[in-house]
Amino acid sequence: MDTNFIAAILNSAIRSTTPIMMAALGSAICNRVGVFNVALEGQMLIGAFSAIAINWFTGSIALSVIGGILIGGMIGLLVGYLQVRFKAADMVVGTSINLFVGALSAILLFILFGVRGSFKNPALLSLPAIQIPILKDLPFISVLLRNFTAMDYFAYLIAIGMYIYLFKTIWGYHTLSVGVKIEAAESMGLHAQRTQIMAVMVSGLLCGFGGVTLSMGQVTLFTENMTAGRGFIGMAACNLGRSNPLLIILASLFFGFCDASASIAQNTIPSQLTQSIPYISTIIALIFFSRERMKKIKNSKAA
Amino acid sequence: MKQISKRYPNGVLANDNVNIDLNEGELLAIVGENGAGKSTIMKILYGLEHPTGGEIFIHGKPQVFKNPQSAMKQGIGMVQQNFMLLPPFSIAENVVYGSEPKKMGVFFDRKKAVDEVRQLSGQYGLSIDPTLLIKNCAVGLQQRCEILKVLYQNARIIIFDEPSAVLTPQEVEGLLDTLRQLAGMGKSIILITHKLNEVMAVADRCVIMRGGRHIATLNTGETSIQELSSLMVGRQIVDKEIPKLDKGHCVLKVKNLSLSGPAGQSIVRNCSLNVDSGEIVGIAGVSGNGQTELLHMLVGLLKPDDGEILLNGKEQSGGEVRTIRDAGCAYVPEDRNTMGAALDATLTETLLMAHQYKKELNRHGILNHKSAEESFAALLKEYNVLHSSLKQKSGELSGGNLQKLIVAREISHNAKLLVISEPTRGVDIGAMEFIHNRLIEQRSDGAAILLVSSDLSEILKLSDRIYVMYEGRINGEIMREEANAENVGILMMGGVRHDKAV
Repeated sequence: MDTNFIAAILNSAIRSTTPIMMAALGSAICNRVGVFNVALEGQMLIGAFSAIAINWFTGSIALSVIGGILIGGMIGLLVGYLQVRFKAADMVVGTSINLFVGALSAILLFILFGVRGSFKNPALLSLPAIQIPILKDLPFISVLLRNFTAMDYFAYLIAIGMYIYLFKTIWGYHTLSVGVKIEAAESMGLHAQRTQIMAVMVSGLLCGFGGVTLSMGQVTLFTENMTAGRGFIGMAACNLGRSNPLLIILASLFFGFCDASASIAQNTIPSQLTQSIPYISTIIALIFFSRERMKKIKNSKAA
Repeated sequence: MKQISKRYPNGVLANDNVNIDLNEGELLAIVGENGAGKSTIMKILYGLEHPTGGEIFIHGKPQVFKNPQSAMKQGIGMVQQNFMLLPPFSIAENVVYGSEPKKMGVFFDRKKAVDEVRQLSGQYGLSIDPTLLIKNCAVGLQQRCEILKVLYQNARIIIFDEPSAVLTPQEVEGLLDTLRQLAGMGKSIILITHKLNEVMAVADRCVIMRGGRHIATLNTGETSIQELSSLMVGRQIVDKEIPKLDKGHCVLKVKNLSLSGPAGQSIVRNCSLNVDSGEIVGIAGVSGNGQTELLHMLVGLLKPDDGEILLNGKEQSGGEVRTIRDAGCAYVPEDRNTMGAALDATLTETLLMAHQYKKELNRHGILNHKSAEESFAALLKEYNVLHSSLKQKSGELSGGNLQKLIVAREISHNAKLLVISEPTRGVDIGAMEFIHNRLIEQRSDGAAILLVSSDLSEILKLSDRIYVMYEGRINGEIMREEANAENVGILMMGGVRHDKAV
């Protein structure tokens, strides 16, 4: 097979990975403090929409990126408040936020741009691709890294940073303790609820980040429901990666690859079928890894 | 440290004008029945609750504790009954939790934590491997970790809240040694308990509380268990006479019952026993020698591999729990919190369990709540279960009251066979006396009672006949007249009886 073709597939896989990884890391930080966050999808969608809207009205890439991330964080804060402070049921909050954001973005799309379904305009700015000297001239690598934005690189730094925070710092230890046993954390004088709400807000920021890469990265447009379940796939990636940021990188790459191969295979296989690849692979991966894990648990119990 | 005095007048009157003083290096016990206010006063001292009156002095200086952290700063630590440990983390990580050694300001220096904890455990003679994960530690070791946690915070006053309630007898010995040792090293220890033999064994002085009041402070050298228990309960404890009864008919007959575990190991081996009406038969043994599994087979929770269970002459082996219950078997499980009651259920719901099929409470599948509540209210009154309402959650009751409730529920089946396990584990003297008297009454009424208990004195007091279990088999049978702590104890350790006439 042509090496350039392989490089192109990998390139597309890695770029598809970024939003999934962000959602997965968001899911992980929530899991680690004992909050089940189902609103990742909505947090991501609002980020994607806000970025495009700010992009259109300000013409500033920086403002679009920051705005998309912050607005994602605001939705996260809302989710955190509802679930932690007011003890609202996680599934109810998550589902309502997802539906709410879906509807809100559709309405605003119409109000602000007068269009239905999707908004695209040549005046919209894309995230600039990063050119790395020397590497950009190498044959295989240049295709592999083509069109990577700063955010595609930054995503990995976030994952590594989260790993260091959780497992190497004292704050991280305290954060983890909240998820393990909230009474113990409170008895040590930690503000457990505040930690939980902050964690959910961080998941909102991360999903906002993922949303921005979605609407301003590979393409520059917004379509209704353009996240297409990436928030949920992120949850699956988090599950496969056992809420460990480094393992999540691997799990997200797997799902990113499935996502990319779906779009590549579109030309040869009916698209209805290819579009289902990411979801089917999610289910299969979850079944496979859950089984392995159950076996391990069984063995360790017998021992 | 000079003295701590504390007054706490009025309010709900959990504590009424209580004065307690504690000297350096002293081991002070606080005893009282459940609800006597001993936990409340300690929570005040530890900053978990706030007094409505009175003051706390340390070294003569008045102190106000807003929260446990401020109490900690003054050197007061508490080992609580339910541990505040993080199971997925190591002992070292748990001990330093809240004041971790730092690297470069933000990083958690785990290596240093391990070293420090190892040093600390050496210093106090609490041997421990700091790298073990809490989830792999036995309860006794977890408690040791809690003690180290308090020591790591430099506590000079350490409060132990019912520390032996969760421990096995062997672990209790270790704990008492630790308490003595800590006091010997100049720490002041407060031991909250209702186990008077522990008080007599380790404490220098003993504070007795009843109904929120301070009743007396005695030097343990100058008092006796009898005096303490009557002060605690507020009246003389009289052991109820166990009347002699004529031999009844056979209610339960078990032949060659056996059970193997998942790995093929033998758990119960060839157990044969019988229980007659009007008889209390005790099963003695160190816990974990197959007693639990034997009972579970009797009540239908486990299916035996082999053997027969005859209840009133009818084979029940391998039957469903409900069939066996319907055939006349009531069961008080050993752990009231997991099997005896659902802690989130209301008292009505808890009492209803296994009574829901009764005609008076159930009409064509619809429960009659009104008549249930009426009869339950009467039942709780009869059993003297302190509660605020039938809608209360059963987890809100104190241990003794919940145990009385479960015993009441099972006895009210009026079953021919009552299987009862650890009926008074972790309950106070008053409740213990009450439950014992109820069992004796049931015996007089002709019930057959099979009693399993790891408390030997309970077995010796109540049983007409004692089977001793060791490694899954019945290692001997002793009649009441011949039984004493020594010969039963030998059988419990796997020994053989020599005194038996051949």
